[in-house]
Amino acid sequence: MVQKKLKRKKTLYQRFQENKKLQSALTVILPLLFGIIVWWLWEHEVLHALFHTDTYTLPLPTKIGGIFMDNIGKIGENTLATVIVAGIGLILGSLLGYVVAILASMFPKVGKGGLSVIGAFASIPVVALAPVMTNWTKDVSSDANMRSMVAKIIVVMLVSAANMSLNAYRGLTEVMPYAEDLMATYAAKKRVVLMKLRVPNSIPYVFIALKVAVPASIMTTIVSEYFAEYIIGVGRQIRENIVLAQYSTAWAYIATACLLGIISYALLMIIQYIVLRKRNAS
Amino acid sequence: MKKVKEITNKKCFSAVLWIVILLAVWEIGAFVVASTKRTPENILPHFWQIVAVAFSSNKVANGQTATMIVLKSAGATLVRALGGFLLGTAAGFILALLMKMSGLVEKIFFPYLMLIQLIPVLGLAPIILSITGDINKSRVVIAAILSFYPVATNTLAGFKAVNKEKYDLMYILAAKKSTIYRKVLIPSAIPYFFTGTKIAAPLAITASILVDTLQGDGGLGCMLSQALKHAMSIYVFWLIVFFSAFIGIFSGSLMGWIETLLTPQKRAMLKKEKRKGGKK
Repeated sequence: MVQKKLKRKKTLYQRFQENKKLQSALTVILPLLFGIIVWWLWEHEVLHALFHTDTYTLPLPTKIGGIFMDNIGKIGENTLATVIVAGIGLILGSLLGYVVAILASMFPKVGKGGLSVIGAFASIPVVALAPVMTNWTKDVSSDANMRSMVAKIIVVMLVSAANMSLNAYRGLTEVMPYAEDLMATYAAKKRVVLMKLRVPNSIPYVFIALKVAVPASIMTTIVSEYFAEYIIGVGRQIRENIVLAQYSTAWAYIATACLLGIISYALLMIIQYIVLRKRNAS
Repeated sequence: MKKVKEITNKKCFSAVLWIVILLAVWEIGAFVVASTKRTPENILPHFWQIVAVAFSSNKVANGQTATMIVLKSAGATLVRALGGFLLGTAAGFILALLMKMSGLVEKIFFPYLMLIQLIPVLGLAPIILSITGDINKSRVVIAAILSFYPVATNTLAGFKAVNKEKYDLMYILAAKKSTIYRKVLIPSAIPYFFTGTKIAAPLAITASILVDTLQGDGGLGCMLSQALKHAMSIYVFWLIVFFSAFIGIFSGSLMGWIETLLTPQKRAMLKKEKRKGGKK
């Protein structure tokens, strides 16, 4: 019986499943295929029929591409504004959030409550935050571009700080069960425990936070651009063009926003790979 | 003295402390702004002024008080947010389950799951508006799209976090695939699922409010932008800001409550923590 089982020929399906090269190739091919099918349906107006819409509100991809190319200069200018805001906000916010998490892990009694207050900040809708910040930063600079940029950065910062502090706190406190006891037997100082145990343990959690925070920071930037004083940024252009009923241009900006998100996420993945490579190897 | 210590040891004490500190900072800011600005209520009104407006019976617009306006528009906004949230959550959970069941589905949809969140909501809103032809439907659809993503990714992470020992145990027990899903995979994904809903609930509300700003159809976002343009008292704006902040926070913690209500292990964990705290 056993022998029979050993000798049994693998089915084609099994071979298919066990071929590693093929499987890793499929992770690229399948989504691409799906994308191409959707593209084809879109280009041939099958999607329009499906959603009962017209080529005016949902222009063909080739047309969006053409408009994208025509306005590349202006799009680049707006993209730069969005990237600067999202990037600075994300970095400042993440640093702030991490510092808060360290403080909270050192003084858990007071810190935990502070953390739940900060967690509450994460739940405040951006729609409520953005206009308030626009009002508060009226005096920062006489330059409308400058002061609305500060307002947007603060909003992004708050959102990513809240996200980071919650995740980093988990990483700093949820260490391996006996690791803390081990540190205690070594009579390790609080600072050493922090540097050798807590901080390294929190790194994967930092990336968990960033995986949410990177798309969220772009999203937040786009939303806060709607409420900003100065008309610049990818998000604002989407809205302005929709108000003017230039749907194709709006779609070009939507495509830009999507690209922004994808590129930033890909960058994050590369950084994560480099940083966590040692950890995975051991 | 003992009593003081007892109070400071309470779990909610530090949260209350921080809220008091924040309020104090707000009030100091308000006093500073009031002494330096011509129209302080546009920038930073006193907290009590906002509270006073909430309880005053002065008619602000259309013979309604500020609180009436806020509550009425909040009803319109929240019902759709809830509808979209439920739809998105269900879809997210089902997709995560399908992705766990079949590698093929995961391979096809995982990259697109990442992309969905990156499409700006308001950019989509007019398109969905023209497709559905109804602002209410587009609110629901957008809230659904936004809450779909965090639930799906988190639940999938939960499915993947099941360690090998559990699979081995199930293999030893000769468990059927459906049993593994029922007894191991789904229960261990539930905490992750709720993490997803905790992110999704405020997002759905944000989305709903944002769509409101598109069309003058009532709703919180609509009132917000009108009040900002001084079509009515600016205090309505502040009231909405605080109200939507409150609702956003509340929706997150509501998910936490539902989680403790539904998952016995979390209840047990909380109980254990309480006992530990009591012994100290």
